[in-house]
Formats: sequence, C-alpha cells, structure tokens
Amino acid sequence: MMPGHIVRFAIAIVAFAVLARLPVGLDGAFQFDAALALVWAFGILSLVLLTGYAGQVSLCQATFAGVGAYGAGMTVAGLHGGYLLGIVVGVLFAMVLGVLVGLPALRLHGITLAIVTLGIALVFDKYVFQDHIFDWFTGGTGGWQVTGASILAISVDSSKHLLAAYDILLALFCITAVLMVNLHQSGAGRRFRAIRDSEVAASTMGVNLTRYKLLAFALSAGMAGLGGSFYPLIAGSVSPQPFWVFTSLQLAAIGVLMGVRYVPAAALGGLFMAVVPDVLTRYGHGVFMGRLYEISYDWFQLAVGVLLVLQLILLPDGVWGDIRGRAARIRDLVRGGANKQVRPA
Amino acid sequence: MTMLRVRDLGVRFGGLVALQDVSLDLNRGEILGLIGPNGAGKTTLFNCISGLIQPNDGSIFFEGRSLRFAPPDERARRGIARTFQNLQLWESMTVLENLELPMDAVGKRNTFSDALGLPLSHYAERAAGERARAILHVLELDGYGSRLAGDLPAGIQRRVEIGRALAMRPKLVLLDEPAAGLDAGETERLAALLRTVRDRFHVSMLLVDHDMSLVMRVCDYIYVLDFGKVLARGRAADVRSDRKVIAAYLGEATPELAESSEDATIINAGQNGGRVPPTERAEPASPGEPLLEVSSLAAGYGHLEVIRDVNLMVRAGEVVACIGANGAGKTSTLRAISGVIHPRSGRVVFDGHDIAGASPERIARMGLAHIPEGRGLFPNMSVEDTLRLAGDSTGARVPMEAAFDVFPRLKQRRHQAVGTLSGGEQQMVAMARAILARPRLLMIDEMSQGLAPTIVRQLFQMIDAFRQQGTAVLLVEQFVESALGVADRAYIFEHGTIAHEAAAAELRRDRNLISGSYLGSGAAETNAIEVAANGNGHKPHPELMEIVSMRVPPEVKRALEERADREGRPVGALALELLEEVKR
Repeated sequence: MMPGHIVRFAIAIVAFAVLARLPVGLDGAFQFDAALALVWAFGILSLVLLTGYAGQVSLCQATFAGVGAYGAGMTVAGLHGGYLLGIVVGVLFAMVLGVLVGLPALRLHGITLAIVTLGIALVFDKYVFQDHIFDWFTGGTGGWQVTGASILAISVDSSKHLLAAYDILLALFCITAVLMVNLHQSGAGRRFRAIRDSEVAASTMGVNLTRYKLLAFALSAGMAGLGGSFYPLIAGSVSPQPFWVFTSLQLAAIGVLMGVRYVPAAALGGLFMAVVPDVLTRYGHGVFMGRLYEISYDWFQLAVGVLLVLQLILLPDGVWGDIRGRAARIRDLVRGGANKQVRPA
Repeated sequence: MTMLRVRDLGVRFGGLVALQDVSLDLNRGEILGLIGPNGAGKTTLFNCISGLIQPNDGSIFFEGRSLRFAPPDERARRGIARTFQNLQLWESMTVLENLELPMDAVGKRNTFSDALGLPLSHYAERAAGERARAILHVLELDGYGSRLAGDLPAGIQRRVEIGRALAMRPKLVLLDEPAAGLDAGETERLAALLRTVRDRFHVSMLLVDHDMSLVMRVCDYIYVLDFGKVLARGRAADVRSDRKVIAAYLGEATPELAESSEDATIINAGQNGGRVPPTERAEPASPGEPLLEVSSLAAGYGHLEVIRDVNLMVRAGEVVACIGANGAGKTSTLRAISGVIHPRSGRVVFDGHDIAGASPERIARMGLAHIPEGRGLFPNMSVEDTLRLAGDSTGARVPMEAAFDVFPRLKQRRHQAVGTLSGGEQQMVAMARAILARPRLLMIDEMSQGLAPTIVRQLFQMIDAFRQQGTAVLLVEQFVESALGVADRAYIFEHGTIAHEAAAAELRRDRNLISGSYLGSGAAETNAIEVAANGNGHKPHPELMEIVSMRVPPEVKRALEERADREGRPVGALALELLEEVKR
C-alpha cells in the first residue's frame, strides 16, 4: 500500500472511533437521527461518485436507497432470511436498477438525464412503493416490520440495540469513504473524471464509455442501496415516505450544497439532512417577544433552498470545497515559508 | 507497409456531402499531411478514422484489419490516438493525470484493485507517473505536471494534447491543427518537436494544419482535400506547384500569381503563416479626429495584472494593428477597452466620453463593437436569429439585408445553425453581427485564427472596405504580415505594455523593427532550434538514423537513398520495410 492509503485508513479509523462514541448517552430520538444521518450520508456519497466524479446527473438516489430498504425488508420479514442476506439482496436490487437507469444515460446528458431520473423516482414512488401489484416487494400497506434482527450474531434490534446497527453502518461508511478517495486518485477514478470533463476525448483515448457509465451507475446505486438496506433495522419498519421523490431532490440539493466532488461532504450532508429538521421540529417552537411561533419541517425545506442559492453564489465548490480551498491556501503559506528557508541549498 | 488504408470513404450530413470517394494510404513511419480550405472535410476524415463518426460509404483498414465496427475506445486500444482542433483536455485534472489516464485506459487494471489500493494498481500507478513525466520532458513541459490542464494557455494545452496522445503508446497519431494560434517562432519549434516525437516514439502521423510552412516542412507526403474530395496528392514540392491546389487554396489566381511563379507565392504565403501578400488598397483617408484615446490603462484577472501603462490612440477612419507574442497583453487590452474586464486604472476616452469601467453593453451602444477571440457566437442559433438578436440588443442602424449584401454567402445560409457553419463563415457572422450597429470603431481579436488563406484574404479586404466607409478598426493579429498589409499604424506589445508604435508602411519596410522587438529574447532561442532542425534536415528520417547508428556500410546506405529517390518514397519507410523483410 502507498503511504497515502495508510494515512487514509488511519484517518478513517480515528473518525470511526470518535463518531462511534458520539451518540452514546443521547436520547433515543437523537440516536435514531445519528443512524439516519448515515443512511443519507450513503445517499450523498453515491452522488459524489455519480455526479462528482463521473459527471452524470441523477435525481433518483433516494429511490435506490428505497429499493435497498425494501429488498432487505422483504428478505428478512417476508422470506425470513438473515439480515446479512437482506443487505446483500437490497444492494443487488439497487445495483440492477442502477444499471437500468444508466442505460438511457449512455445517450442523454445534463437536463434531459435529470428529467429521466426524476421520472424514475416518481414512478417508483407512486407505482412501486405504493402499489398493491408489488406487495410481495413492499409488504403491503403496513410495510415490512423488522424486529429482533442480528448481523453475524450481533443483536441489532432497533428498540434495544440501535447503537449496534449504528456502529456497523458507521464502519461500513468509513470503509466506503476510504475506497472512494482511493478511487479518485487512481486509474478508474481518472476515467470517471475524464468522462465528466470530455466524453469525446475519453472515448478516443481508450475509455469504454458504455462500461464506465454503467459501472458508475451500478456502484452509485449500490452505495445508496447499502445505506437504505439499514433503514428497516434503524426504524423497525419500512414505509414509502422516507424514499419519496422529494428526498431524492433533497439529496441532490444537499450534496451540491456541501460539495458534490468531495467525500467528506457526504458525512456533513447526511448529518445536516437527518439532524437539522429534527432539532427544528423539536425545539423550534415557543414564545418569542410575546408571540407564539412554530418552525415546521416546511421551514427546513425552504432553508435548504435558500442555502443552496447562497452557496451557488458564495461557495461555488460547496461547503467542503471551500474549507478544502482555504486549508490548501494556509498550507501553501506555511510551506512557502519553509521552502524559502530550504531553497538556498 | 501500409498502416492505414482508407478506401472510397463517403460521409453525408443530411444533404451536405462532407466527404466523397476519399482514399488515402499512410505508411509506417510516415508523416502524412492533409491540407485544404476550410470546410474541405479534414476534421470529418479525422472523426471517421478515430470512430466518432460512422461513414456512409467506404472502409478504413488499420494494420490490415477493418475498423468498421470498432468503437472509438477500441480504435484507441489498437493504437490510434488523436488531438483536437477545439481543445479537449480534461480541464479539472492535472496535466500529469491527463497523461496517465490513456496509459491505464489501455492497460488491464480494474476499479476494485484501484479502490482497494492493491499492489497491482500501486505499481501501475508509479510506472504511469514516471512515463508521463518522461513524455512531459520530451515536450519541454517539465514544470507543468501538477497544474490543472484547464488553467493553462491554449498553446501549452495543445502541446499537452500531443503528450496525452503519445501517452497511449500509439502507432498512429492524428494531429488536428496543432499550430493553431501559435506565432511564427512557436510554429518553428513545433515543427522541430514533431520530428523529435517521431524519432523518440516511433509513431506515424497524420497532420492537418493551415500553416503551410509547418505542413510543407514536416510531412513526407501530402494529400489535398477540397469539397470533400482528394484534389491532389504528392510530395511537398509537387503539391506546391500543382495548379489545382493553388487555385483551391488561394482562390482564383491573382494577376501577380498568374505571371510570376506560383511556387514562390505559395512558399511565401507559407512562411508568413499561410497569409497572403497585401492587396492593393486605397490610400488611407486623411487622419481624422482621435476617436479612441487610451492612457495609462492597467487591467488584469484576479491577483494577476496582465497589462499596465498602455497608451494608444485610434483616429476616425483608421486601421490600427496590435501585434506581439502570445500573452503580451493584446487581447486583455481589447477586453479592458470594451468593458469585458474592468480596468484597474487609467482612462479610456471614446468619442469624447470616458468609458473606463462602463458596462460592456453601454459601450457597445455608443458604437464600439468588439469581436472577441473565438467569435462569441451561439452555436445553436441560426444565422438570421443571431443577426436579429444583435439588431434588437445593440440598436441596429442597418437592416439585416445590408449585412447580407456585404456577406452574400451568409444569405444562403441564413436558416442554418451557426455551429454548423465553417470557421470562415462563422467569422463572417461575427463581423456581420458587429456591423449591424454601424459601429464607429470595430475591434477584432484574432480574426484569421484557423482560417484558410482564401477566406482570410476576403476578410482583410472587408476590413479595407469598412475603413473606406469611415469605420475605424483596431485589429489584434498573430499574423503580422497580413495585419500590416491592411493597417495604417501598428502598436507592438511586449510583456503587458506597448513597446513601440510605428506606421505600418515603415514596419513593412524595416523587418528588424519587428524581429528585434516582436520576437524579443525568443529570437536567439528560435535560431538555435532552427540550426538544430537544419542539422537534422540532412537525414530527416528517424528510421534511417537508426540504420546509420547500426553501422550500415556507406554503399548500402547510398543504394537505399537512390532507390528511395527512384520510387519517390521516404527513405525511412523503405528502410524499415527492407528490415522487416530481412527479419522474416
């Protein structure tokens, strides 16, 4: 392994150790938020690969997560399989759907592709997750109830062992994040980025566009599905509501807001998406200057919109992109000073 | 041995015939030139060979195998690399990454070993990095490895594109206008570089360029395309004196062409960067009142100040040229005058008003039109809509029909999307758009870039016509000869400011004034390269050099040269062929 790889794994291990301690001692609702943050973090990470690296637009990432969630729910609650198998089934279902969505992307670009993927999100929301034809997949009106599940003999029940599920998902996220950074710096990552910058040049320099576009969609959908497949564990059941069209839009908006080219932006975005609305609805009411006020979930959606506009004007590379840029400038300053001392030799 | 064989190729776009019955052979180790006026189908042929377009008829064989069903990436893996006329680097990647990608795109690593950082990927990565640095060294791009490709000047980007093509270990490289936008000295250097590249990387090349001097000097064999057909082919000398070629490339023969040797004229045009000697023109109108006065102008981008203390003046009805090396500040000066970038300090007085810092649209409405480098057109808009939009937004003082009178060719194309027009026609649209507002001053940036001499001459005649109608023109031109041919006065830019001012006639007479200051310190360097190139010129074929180094007896060498001469083929190709026969 290169030194870069070792550093990245070390950072991931430290991050895991710190983040795993974080929700300990919080009340149940916040522990739920922490776990949910990871589900959405996977959703945004999938966009980092698809949009940030490969330049393909998608407005149906929550659909991939939903397919992962229902796949896991169906395997565990419907077919009485183990939860590990449920995760595998969920991820595979999501990847298959990813390839299917990727097929039109071989021809389409930009806004047209965005509309096609939005259409897919709508169709799945209305006619798969909520339609009785697919009861075998969705578990009918009540959805799948998952209780007493375990992964590799570790109890990960939502009511008693929520943090165990959180830790496993966190570990998976840290590993995936490191793999994503490795990918960015390596040949395959370069090929994805080449497709983003110039498809014509990529194809005439030996990049198989069909293969790499489909691969980007499959991997991205798989990542979103992996996060989604933990949803039944965390919530105890699956319902269509968390994976509706608007969640897909929100994933895209928050991904761009945080910096869709950067892996750490996924963690920031997931946290933002899960925690902020919960805090707002919980503490966002009371009496201010003699008037009763209440901040609802709608306000969160409005805030995301406003923040997105501000970000596009002020921080075009996203929140993380801006932090990174500043850090690089500071590092250059420090190193510049050091270099001057060394240079006379 | 024929490496690339094109047979009866035909391409049609709707009703437009882009290529018709084109056949072409390229031998191993050869540099083949492809020339022809704009819209002759050169880039279309490139696109067919690299697989971006499927031809309607005909076939292409590479190393004896058909390319018919091979997608672009498979052709790349078989050894065909290319560069692009409109640069296609991966702009958000570093120069090194741009070079490393093609190496591993043809290798056998996969996504999973890359993500896991397995040793397989690790070693491949390190080898790729080393090779990329070696290529950058050969191309004299050493300092650029970690720079973002999109941040580099166009000239450097062109060289990086050549590097990227070589990174793939290709057998054949297609070069699409590698000299576009380079000045005479840089073109000279490019010619030497291309020979070095062939020596070092053992590639064959197919070269498209408008710069005749480059094509004539570098290529072993030349094909001339016109209207999608092969008009002529042969060695440089034959093509040069071919009457059909002269007629197609330079337009109908001018009187001086007809009586003197065509040969000399076309060589001359080549040495001037494909430009044309000045046509006779009316005496300049008596110098009018100062129309534009710029004093102590400074401007820049971000932290970078690119022009400072620029003082210049344009009188009514005058044509003034700005010349100087790439990056000397000519384009930025025009942009600061027209308000596209904000002047940092200084005054810009146009028609008695200080316009420094005014918005570009206000300046345009005052009668100062600016045609930017690259023309600033909307590719999906039709010619008519482009002109109508300009009329609406700048307050047209001339009906659209008048623009069609000036450029009759546009009238036939009025419903066609601008992006589908040839380069020359696009420049006409840009000029037509500018004159609709009947500007008092027209600023044109790099009008002749990438255009064939016939078109360029027409455009320069147009400028002369504008002057006679009383429009002042401020030109930025890479091609000094043709700019001086039409201008009254010229400013010579150096390092972000004006180094000299002189009457055009004086500059035309006294070359030293230009070469002394215009080429600047680069002159010595250019000479050194010229010497090196000439030294190489005695044995211009790398394969031959190889044979020489293998200590072939002199009599064998002489026999080889004689036979090559008799058969009219490059010595190197012949030698290689014989070598291969011996091996077999």
